[in-house]
Amino acid sequence: MERKLIIAGIGGQGVVYATKVLSQAAMARGGHVLASENHGMSQRGGSVMSHLKIDSGEAPLIRRGTADALIAFDRVEAVRNLPFLRSGGQVCVNSVDGLDPAVMPRLGELGIRVHTINADACAKDLGAPAVANLVVLGFAATLGALGLSVEDLKEAVRALGPAKAVELNLKALEAGAGLAERLALGD
Amino acid sequence: MGTQLLLGNDAIALGMVQNGCQVVTAYPGTPSSEILAGVVKFKKKLNCDVYTEWSASEKVAFEVALAASWSGLRSATAMKQVGLNVAADPMFSAAYTGVVGGFVIVPCDDPGPISSQTEQDSRLLGLTAKVPVFDPSTPAESLAMVKEALELSERHRIPVILRPTTRVCHAVQSVEVDGGGRGAWSPAAKPGFKKDPQRWAATPGFRLKLHHELNAKLAAIESEFEKSALNYQLPIPNDKNGKLGIIASGVAYQTTRQALADLGAVAPVLKIGTPFPLPRKLIMDFVAQFERVLVIEEPDACIELQIPDRTRVSGRLDGTVPNAGELSPEVVMSVLAEALDQMGVPVPPPPDDSALAGIVQSLKITPRRPRLCPGCSHRSAMFTMKQVFGPNAIYPGDIGCYSLGTNIRAIDTFVDMGAAVTMATGFYQAARFTGDKRPIVALIGDSTFLHSGITPLVNAVHTGARFVLLILDNHTTAMTGAQPTPANDYAADGGLAAKIPIINVAQACGVKFVRVADPYDHEPFATLLREAQAFTQAEEGGIAVIIADRPCVLYDRAPIEADPLPVIVTEQCDGCRYCVEAFECPALVLRPDKSRVDVDYRICVDCGQCIDACYKGFIVPQN
Repeated sequence: MERKLIIAGIGGQGVVYATKVLSQAAMARGGHVLASENHGMSQRGGSVMSHLKIDSGEAPLIRRGTADALIAFDRVEAVRNLPFLRSGGQVCVNSVDGLDPAVMPRLGELGIRVHTINADACAKDLGAPAVANLVVLGFAATLGALGLSVEDLKEAVRALGPAKAVELNLKALEAGAGLAERLALGD
Repeated sequence: MGTQLLLGNDAIALGMVQNGCQVVTAYPGTPSSEILAGVVKFKKKLNCDVYTEWSASEKVAFEVALAASWSGLRSATAMKQVGLNVAADPMFSAAYTGVVGGFVIVPCDDPGPISSQTEQDSRLLGLTAKVPVFDPSTPAESLAMVKEALELSERHRIPVILRPTTRVCHAVQSVEVDGGGRGAWSPAAKPGFKKDPQRWAATPGFRLKLHHELNAKLAAIESEFEKSALNYQLPIPNDKNGKLGIIASGVAYQTTRQALADLGAVAPVLKIGTPFPLPRKLIMDFVAQFERVLVIEEPDACIELQIPDRTRVSGRLDGTVPNAGELSPEVVMSVLAEALDQMGVPVPPPPDDSALAGIVQSLKITPRRPRLCPGCSHRSAMFTMKQVFGPNAIYPGDIGCYSLGTNIRAIDTFVDMGAAVTMATGFYQAARFTGDKRPIVALIGDSTFLHSGITPLVNAVHTGARFVLLILDNHTTAMTGAQPTPANDYAADGGLAAKIPIINVAQACGVKFVRVADPYDHEPFATLLREAQAFTQAEEGGIAVIIADRPCVLYDRAPIEADPLPVIVTEQCDGCRYCVEAFECPALVLRPDKSRVDVDYRICVDCGQCIDACYKGFIVPQN
């Protein structure tokens, strides 16, 4: 199933690892994967983003206005990358208070839904601030933004290892999924 | 192996190992750095005996691998595109002499540029040096092309370039991979260097003969490329166009196909996998079928330049395709839409992607710029340096993480690898004419110094230049992912290596003032900098070298963990922004209302270095 995803954040937030998990999960489901990553400067605190295309040809980059979903680990990076989204696309963002209110009316007109999760707080509760990226992925998968299930992501996390990190990573995915379910129930 | 997720650079590495390369060398540089690391990974995984080396420079890497080829082995060398400038000298020569074992050069181009000083096109360097070039468009194609390149190299006894770009190097693709390594490979029954002075030590008279031989090889290769499966045209159903044809290569080919599909347009696309020597008959036969032909390639015009008759041809040379910058999907889409429209081929207007762009633009969000990491010893060294020498001193810089020192105005120039030392020399000589009395303080990293700083330092001492040279020694090649330098005691594959201490090198260059100090010790480091400056002014003085010795925090946290110094910003902080601007640690954050600065403890590493960054004394130890 064709899917175009943008994953965005700041160097150190695990954009590259999150892309790896999504790529692995999509490949395990038989999808043809093509992802484009930032390297080099990505550990130096700059803006980082990756393009992930599943069953969507051999061109490495997603054209603006065509991405199905934007997965962002930082509120400002989310807004900066909004032009990649197509009408009716989705945003899953790690933030305490959603996106900049200035963009919301336009997003509404384009039918773009914004899902906010305080993944930093959630990861902190798990005792590992670094897994906020996986919390967001678990959240996004449960909301149907990825075209991949939480189970798919768990399988990928197990396959990627390392063994000592797997348990915590699975917990992070589940925590994100749990928050999405509560959101769906209107809790 | 089945289907694997392969980074483009890993695909190239796997191709090298599976196709029997026995000597692989490289100098790190984005976007090429993962290739040699990949060779180390796959040689272990596939149990193949491959000699791997992080060389001291690209020229060194090239020549070490070349000698292996002359010994009858398959070999390869990888570098970023500007690295091929450094290795251009041996490449031009090796094109004439030729090779024995398959020899592949992998210079990685960086359209954009995303992390380079230029957007230069290595294919054009291949054209100038008369070295054949392969141009992959995906990781999967890179894997296949390594084999083709090695075989072509052997068949014609010529070095071959495989030229990927950033979007190939750093793309991850699910690739069908056949298992196992082919192991050692050799074209000769008995490998080993065979003497042939008229070739391997050719003097100018013989060189002319070799040049004729090279031209004959290229003619034969062009004939091969005319029939190569790497140059192809996908069949198009219901092609009623006949007006516009497209020639494309590399990532631009894939982007072009996607854009045509998105436009709902049909146009024949000739994919060129071998841009030099260009299969000119194939190209002219294609061109003849259309009223107009568009050439789409990156980062410069290489195919277009070689087309014998460009009457009907448009591309980067006539400005139809922008002649600078990456060919993003948006750019290619608009170029194609316009070309089709001009030819009267109806296309729907490109989908409007400006809806959100405008609003986001109005919010004035600029990309977050990269900064030195929390705890970076370069920051401490540069901060103290600025305090001692002030804003007016001339600070020639160099290539590495510390180029981010431009953010805090600690770097005034960078040109290329090693230029800190030579530019300082030139500024000193120029100042004798201009009467400029400002101090000159050059900054260079450990890996860069060992790459291209030594010869300039010998030159500077020899010619009597006077300046302070700060060698920022963080014990690794940090910017590109912590590859070892000759000053480390380990090799690319983790094996033992002989350590060449930088202090000994500086002394051996003839420098009379060489000191080593920890830049974390603010006051002693400042005192030393003043002594160094005094030495450059003293009657019997000269160049003064200070080695700022402290490991990179990303790769060696031990010194900080052994001696942590957690800080707080006191209530008195008045948000004056001095620390944020002059010290620029990502862990010191100015509140949105600009009232004060807070420590972001999620990323703070407890180095305590910012205590010196608040001259008002509002950043203090926690205890």
